[in-house]
Amino acid sequence: MIACGLIYAVVGVVLFALGFFGLIVHAHPVRKLIAFNIMGSGVFLVLVGLPQRTAGTPPDRVSEALVLTGIVVAVSATAFGLALARRLYDLTGKPRLPNDPRPES
Amino acid sequence: MLGAILDFTLAASLVWIAWRTGATPYLFNAVVLFIVFGLLMTLAWVRLNAPDVALAETAIGTGLTGALLLDAAAHIAGKPGRRKGKNPP
Repeated sequence: MIACGLIYAVVGVVLFALGFFGLIVHAHPVRKLIAFNIMGSGVFLVLVGLPQRTAGTPPDRVSEALVLTGIVVAVSATAFGLALARRLYDLTGKPRLPNDPRPES
Repeated sequence: MLGAILDFTLAASLVWIAWRTGATPYLFNAVVLFIVFGLLMTLAWVRLNAPDVALAETAIGTGLTGALLLDAAAHIAGKPGRRKGKNPP
């Protein structure tokens, strides 16, 4: 019988990879932030899921408290990034970084 | 047995929604799919015996972040005429 925590730890690794890919590929700053949030969710899933990898272990309260703090920090960092993206759009008129070498889509 | 089926379905949905969030060509669709992703993450936290993290994820991770992302998406991708007068030169 496979433990439930291990499934979510593996899913967390996959989510981290997907978020990292999106962070690199997208040129739009808001989409970069969404991918960054997905990446963070993957890290949180690994952090909570890996201590419960064998069936019957009690959940690790320390890592859960760590994840709780991480969610709040991720939200404040996202809000700061969104404020920067809005300001960049207001100043340049384009939703992309000024030194992005990719062609305009 | 039923729990394992639920776990695998939830895992597959999480990965699929995350992939769609990155692959969709529209910004608004990406934001809405990210909110759906956050709600699925809440179910994952409940399955991991962490109800406090699930509550925080729903309220802050999905609600607040979703509202902020929707506001920014409307500001950036919305009609330019609506921003007139908001930023005096």
